[in-house]
Amino acid sequence: MEITFENRETGTLVLVTGRMDAVTAPQFEKDCVAVIEAGAKLMVVDLSQLDYISSAGLRSILASAKKIKSTGGTMKFCGLSGMVEEVFQVSGLGTMFATTATADEAFGA
Amino acid sequence: MKLNGIAFRLASLTLLISTLILAAIVGYNYTVSRDIIVELAEDKGTLLAGSTSERISGVLNSVQKVADSISFSLEDGSLSEKRLNELGKRVLSENPEIFGTAIAFEPYGFKYDSEYYAPYHYRSQNRISFTHLGGPDYQYFFMDWYQLPRELERAIWTEPYFDEGGGHELMATYSVPFYRTKNGLKVVAGVITADISLTWMQKLLAEISNQESGYVFMLSRYGTYIAHPDSSLIMNETIFTSAKTMNQPRLREIGRRMVTGQSDVEEVENLPLTGDSFLYFTSLPKQQWSIGVVFPKADMLADVARLNREVATLGAVGFVALALLVIYLANKITHPLRNLTASANEMASGNLDTELPEVRSNDEVGELATSFQTMKESLKSYISNLTETTAAKERIESELRIAHDIQMSILPKLFPAFPERNEFDIHASIEPAKEVGGDLYDFFFLDDEHFCFLVGDVSGKGVPAAFFMAVTKTLLKVVAERGLDPGEVMAKVNNDLAEDNDACMFVTLFLAVIHIETGEVKYANAGHNPPLLLPKNKDSEWIPPLNELVAGIMEDTEYTTKSMTMEPGDTLFIYTDGVTEAMDNDKNLYSEERLLEVMNECSGLSAKSIVRTIDKSIKTFTGGAEQSDDITMLAMQFLGKSNEK
Amino acid sequence: MKTRHHKWLDTYSRVGLFLLVAFASHIFVFSAPALAGKKVSLALQWYPQAQFAGYYMAVEKGIYAKHGLDVTLLPGTADTNSLDRVVDGEADFCTAFLSAAMECRSNGTPLVNIGQIVQRSALLLVARKDSGIQSIKDLDGARVGTWGNKFQLQPLALFNRENLDVTLVRQSPSFELFMRGGLDAVMAMWYNEYFRLISYGLNPEEMNTFFFSDLDLNQPEDGIYCLESTLNVSPKAAAALVKASAEGWQYAFAHPDETVDVILAAMKQVNIRANRAHQKWMLARMQDIILSEGNPELVTRLKKDDFMQTKETLLSNDVIETDISYTDFHKEAVQ
Repeated sequence: MEITFENRETGTLVLVTGRMDAVTAPQFEKDCVAVIEAGAKLMVVDLSQLDYISSAGLRSILASAKKIKSTGGTMKFCGLSGMVEEVFQVSGLGTMFATTATADEAFGA
Repeated sequence: MKLNGIAFRLASLTLLISTLILAAIVGYNYTVSRDIIVELAEDKGTLLAGSTSERISGVLNSVQKVADSISFSLEDGSLSEKRLNELGKRVLSENPEIFGTAIAFEPYGFKYDSEYYAPYHYRSQNRISFTHLGGPDYQYFFMDWYQLPRELERAIWTEPYFDEGGGHELMATYSVPFYRTKNGLKVVAGVITADISLTWMQKLLAEISNQESGYVFMLSRYGTYIAHPDSSLIMNETIFTSAKTMNQPRLREIGRRMVTGQSDVEEVENLPLTGDSFLYFTSLPKQQWSIGVVFPKADMLADVARLNREVATLGAVGFVALALLVIYLANKITHPLRNLTASANEMASGNLDTELPEVRSNDEVGELATSFQTMKESLKSYISNLTETTAAKERIESELRIAHDIQMSILPKLFPAFPERNEFDIHASIEPAKEVGGDLYDFFFLDDEHFCFLVGDVSGKGVPAAFFMAVTKTLLKVVAERGLDPGEVMAKVNNDLAEDNDACMFVTLFLAVIHIETGEVKYANAGHNPPLLLPKNKDSEWIPPLNELVAGIMEDTEYTTKSMTMEPGDTLFIYTDGVTEAMDNDKNLYSEERLLEVMNECSGLSAKSIVRTIDKSIKTFTGGAEQSDDITMLAMQFLGKSNEK
Repeated sequence: MKTRHHKWLDTYSRVGLFLLVAFASHIFVFSAPALAGKKVSLALQWYPQAQFAGYYMAVEKGIYAKHGLDVTLLPGTADTNSLDRVVDGEADFCTAFLSAAMECRSNGTPLVNIGQIVQRSALLLVARKDSGIQSIKDLDGARVGTWGNKFQLQPLALFNRENLDVTLVRQSPSFELFMRGGLDAVMAMWYNEYFRLISYGLNPEEMNTFFFSDLDLNQPEDGIYCLESTLNVSPKAAAALVKASAEGWQYAFAHPDETVDVILAAMKQVNIRANRAHQKWMLARMQDIILSEGNPELVTRLKKDDFMQTKETLLSNDVIETDISYTDFHKEAVQ
C-alpha cells in the first residue's frame, strides 16, 4: 500500500493505493496522525486507487478521523468505488463521513 | 603435516621459489664464470699458439734467408767446383742449425758429360762431410726436393721426412731454384737445398706440452702430424685420417681450416688424451705448417665447476635452513589455529563453556582468538536470550490456547442446541484465524416464544478483538434479555462499547429475534454484511443492508429495527466477512456471488448441512491458503409449528 | 793313353756337365716337384700394403704351409720391378700388372699368367674440380702426373684414342706437385693414391674422377706370373700358390681388422708411412676390384674379353707390336 500526501490550498489530499489490511493499515493511521499533528484541518482521503479494505483498515480510518476531530478538523473521502464503496456503505461509514466522487469536489465543498 | 595445510603450502611454495631463484643464480653464475674462463683460456691458448709459431718460424725463416741468398750467388755461371765446395762448407760452418746443403744441377747442367751433379755437404760426427748425390738409383730429378722448386719455379719447404742415413731424425728441406740465363731466357739451372732437423722443434713442443694440462701438435701443409705427444701418429697419419679413425667429422673440418692457414679456436668433443677440449690453431704462414694447442675443457672449467659446486652446496644448506625455518614459522601460526579449530568444534557440539586456547601474540592470530572469545560470549548470551524468549513464547502460546478454549466455551457449541424444540433448527460454526478471534455468535431464548440469534464481527483479530468480542457478547445477552427490540438493544450496546473506546475498535452486528410460532423476525444491522435468506424451494436472496454505523464508534447512534417473516422451511444464513473475503493463493476472494450460488444448491438441506456445505466450499476454494480472517456462520432454519414432537 | 785319358775326361766332363746343367737349372727352376714346405719366393710390385693383403695373410695364417709351400714375400720399392725380378731369376713368382706383363711377353720373355686376381682396373685420373677439367677432352694440353713406366700404358692408350696432347710428368709418390698446383691431373689407384688425396684434406666432392674401367680401358691389374719354365717344372707348386693366395684373399676380406693389423706391422717394419684409415680403405677397395660384380667367390681366371681388349689397346697404340695368344699367355694352373 502506498500513501501520498499532497498539500492543497484548503487542506491535505491523501491518496491511498493498493490494499488496506491488518498489515498496511497501521501505516495509514501513523502517517495521518503525523499530518494531523502537523496542523492539517481538512484531510481528503482519495480511495479511488484502493483495491481492498478490511476491518483493520476501517479501524485505522476511524482512529484517524477521531484524531482530526479532536483537533477540530474534518476528514472527507472521495473516489469510492467497487468493494470499498460497498464496505463503506454497509459499515455505515458512508453516513458518518462526507463522501464525494472527486477530490476537487471534496476540497471545493 | 597436512598436505593441504597452510604450513605445507607455505613451506613448499617458499622452497619452490627459492629453489628457482637459487637455480637461476647458480646457472647465471656458472655461465658467466664459464664464459670468462673460456675467454681467458682462449687468450692464453691463442697467445701460446701464436708465440710458439713465432719461435718456430723464426728458426725456419732464418734458414730460408740463407738458402735464398745462396741461390742468388749461384746465378753466377762461372762458379767452379772448388768454389761450390767452399760455398757448401761455409753454409754449414756459419749456420749451425743447417744439417746439410746440396747444390743440385739440371741434367748435364754442370758438366756436359755428367747427367747428375749434386755436391752435398752435411754434418757427421762433429765434422763437415761431403758426398755427391745422384745416380740411376738416386734419380733426384723426380724427387720432391728437386722437382717441386724446379716445376713450380719457386722456393719450397718439403714435407718433413725421416732421415734414412743416420739417427732416423725428422727433417725438412728448404729448396730454392737458381737460374741461369740461357739464350737470353732465364731458366732453372738447379736447386739449392738446406736440410734442417726438426728434433729441436719436437722437443720445444714437447716441453710446452708438459707445462700445460693440454698439449701442442703440429701439422705439415697437408695435415700430416709432425709433432704430437702420441708419436705413433707422427708421419703416419694426417689429421684427416685420424678424424676418420676417431669418427670425428668435425676434426676433418678443423684440419681443412688449419691447412689453409686460418687461426681460430674451436670446441671439439671426445678427443683422445683430453676428452672434451678446446682446440686453438694458427699457422706458420711461410711454411704453411700449422700449430694446434689442445686444452681439456674439464681442466679449464675445473675451477668454475668447483665454484659452482660450492655455490650449489651453500645454496642447498641455505635451502634446508630456510625450509626448517619456514616450517617452524608456519607451524607457529597454524598451531594456535588448530587449537582454535578444536575449540570451535567443541563449541559447535554444544559445549559453549569450553576453554578457548590462550593466544598472546598481537598479530592476526591473536585477533582471531580474541574474536573467538567475543563470539563465544555473544553466542552464550544469544542462546540464553533465545531460550528465555522461546520459553516466553511457549508460555504465551499455552496461555493463548487456554484463551482459545475459554473463548470457545462462552459460545454455544452444543448441537443440536434445542433438540426438544422442533420449530426451528439452528447450527453455527466459528473458526478464528488465530488462537483467539473477534467473531462472535449467540442464540438464546428471550422467553417461551421469542428466540434471539446474532452474529458479530469485531474489527481486527487476535487478543484485542477477543477481549472486545467477549465484552460485546456479554453486553448483548444482558441487554437483549430485557426484551427490547433489536434496534434498541443495539443502540444500548453501542453506547456501552463507544464509551472509553480510544482504540476505535468497532464491531459489526446482526441481531434478530424470531417469534417461533408466527415466524415473524425482527432484526437490526450495525454495519454487518447482509445475511442470506434461502426460502424453501426458491433461490436465495440478500436481506437488504441498513447501512447503519458499526457499533462502538459513536455514542447515541440510532439503529432501526426491521421486520420480515419466515415461512416454514426458510433458512436465514448469517455470516461474517471472513466467508466472502476468504482468499485463495492468488488473492482471489470467495465473494458474495459464489456464496449465493452455493447457497442455491443447499435447497432442502438441514441447517447443519447448509453450514457444512458452505464450509466445505470455502475450504475447497481457499485450497490451503492461510486463513486471513475469522470465519463464522450461523444457519437458522424455521420449521414452523406443524412439526410437533 | 789317349783313349783312357779321353774316357776319364769324358766321364769327368759328363759329370761336370751334368752338375753344371743341374746347377745352372737350379738357378731357374726347382728340381723337385711340390713337397711339404717347398720354398718359393713371391715378388710383390710395391711396398707392403693392403694391396697384397691376401698374400700376407696366406703366410700369416699358414695357408701357404697348408698347401705345402714355404713362401717368402719380397716387397717391392719405387725403383724395383717385380717382373724384372722374375725374369732375372731373383724371384720364382711375382705379382704384376696385366698390361706390363703382356708387354713383357710380347718382347719375347716367356712369361705366363697363372692366376688373375684383380678383375676390375683400379686406375683413374683425378683432377681438382676447380682446375676446369670436367671431361676427358679437357685434358688436351694438360700436364698429367704419373709414377713409373708401368702405369702409363692405359693413359697413353686413352690419350692416343682420344687424340689428346698430354704431357706426362713423372712425380714422387707424395703427390705434392699435384697438391701444389704443378699438375693439372694425376693418375691414381683407387685403393691407394686416391685415398692419399682424401687424407690430405681434399673432399671427394672437390675432385673429378675418370675411371679407366668406365672408359673402355678395363685392363685389370694384379695377377700372378712366372716363367713358363717354372710352370713346366713345378706345376703343382704354381697351382698351390694361386689357390692358397686366393684363400688368403678370402680370409683377408672376412677378417678386415685382423688383416689391417698384420699389414700395419709389416709396413712399420720397413719404416714406411702407415695409418689404419688408409689400409682399411685399401683393403675395402681391393675387395671391390677382386670380387668384381659382387661375386662372393674369388675367380682367378683371366677373362678372355679383358685379355683381348687389353691386347687390342696395346697393339693399336703401338705399345706392343707382336700378337700374343691367350692360351699361351694365361695358364690357369690346376692342381
